[in-house]
Amino acid sequence: MALPVSLHASTTPQELEFIAGYDMIEIMPSVRTDRIRVLSGTYGPLDALRTTKVPVWMALHLKARKKCRIVSPAWLSVDYLQDRLAEETSDKAFSLLPFRYAEIAKLLLDSAAEDIESADKIRLILKDIHEARQAKSREGLHQINDVNLRVRNICALELNDIRPSFVKSMDILIKLSPQAQQSHEEEDTFRDWSMGDDSYPVAADSTMETEW
Amino acid sequence: MDFSDSTLDDHLFGIDTDENPIARLIRAWIDERHAPDLLVFQAALIDDLMQKLHEQGLVVSALQSDESTTEEEHLRITLVKTDMERAKFLIRSYMRVRLHKIEKYAAFILQTTEEQQKLSNAELVHAQRYQQMLANHFHATVLDALPESTHALDQTFPDGTSMITRPDRDHPVFVHARVPCPDVLLPDGDKITLEQGSIHLLRYRTIDTLLARGQVNLV
Repeated sequence: MALPVSLHASTTPQELEFIAGYDMIEIMPSVRTDRIRVLSGTYGPLDALRTTKVPVWMALHLKARKKCRIVSPAWLSVDYLQDRLAEETSDKAFSLLPFRYAEIAKLLLDSAAEDIESADKIRLILKDIHEARQAKSREGLHQINDVNLRVRNICALELNDIRPSFVKSMDILIKLSPQAQQSHEEEDTFRDWSMGDDSYPVAADSTMETEW
Repeated sequence: MDFSDSTLDDHLFGIDTDENPIARLIRAWIDERHAPDLLVFQAALIDDLMQKLHEQGLVVSALQSDESTTEEEHLRITLVKTDMERAKFLIRSYMRVRLHKIEKYAAFILQTTEEQQKLSNAELVHAQRYQQMLANHFHATVLDALPESTHALDQTFPDGTSMITRPDRDHPVFVHARVPCPDVLLPDGDKITLEQGSIHLLRYRTIDTLLARGQVNLV
């Protein structure tokens, strides 16, 4: 098959990590080079001891060859993450973190831990944050309906995590919804309903936007 | 620090997210992965990238075989090569998910001219050959041994079910509003506003026009 079954339901964490590799990060190079022109943009010039913004993948590539030191992003610090963890446990809503925080944190902690202050402590806090948020996102399943669910401040990896169960649940609700029943009865006259026309039979109840 | 949803991925590649071919390719790939039906083939984008990859490949091999290339240049060459490999991975991933859908919905695509316009020429040829092979296989293994009346592969039964697999356009998808969007009509008759940067779980048919116009992307 063109696409392995494991890739059908959702994107994989590895794929999300790959995408997060294009996020920008600051580095302190230890070599001097001209501007670097690649397909995703032009970066540099690298100059020793002058911070430069490059994509994460490039930073890790240079890091692996000991050509730079990575400047830890402001949010990847004990203080900042501790505050977020406090919010996660006291507040019902998700706290504000970069959309791809989990992937970037993993990439940096895996390959450039020495450049990150108190990396071990950060790992522990990140794990707690992840667990607190995971519990919340699962809680969100209670609010699902057949038309619309707004998710706030959710991150890419969490979205990926909840996708299979949320999509499946909504799908079942759609099949059970009054519109679906109605359209089934109209099958004879309006068989192509599912393909062309975008008008819907209006249902009596209207569960509206749920926010969490 | 501001990480509100509205900045989602805006910080990828700095600011010119719309102009950046890799950013566009990632979006096209992920949209294609999550959308239940086949989206329009990004012909200009893929052609452009293939052309650039080809040109860069020539430059890289010329520089690598040149003995006067300095060490600094070698470092830049390895970066350029890594970037090229990453771009190739993205293109392959994009083509693979399209192929998957093309094979899954081959009969439906060949039946509908509107769907066929979403395919590149090579993809259309693939769909035709795939469907032909499938039909030949069914005939050779089973159908030829059965009465003529059972030979059809495109029948619709009285209860409305069809032998042709169609995309389920009611499939729920996670939608991210890239720009302020016009209000969308929900299937229950209500209207909602997709604020810029917000993420919703909606039925695909609710947002398919916004997706085609690039106002939203799937996440």
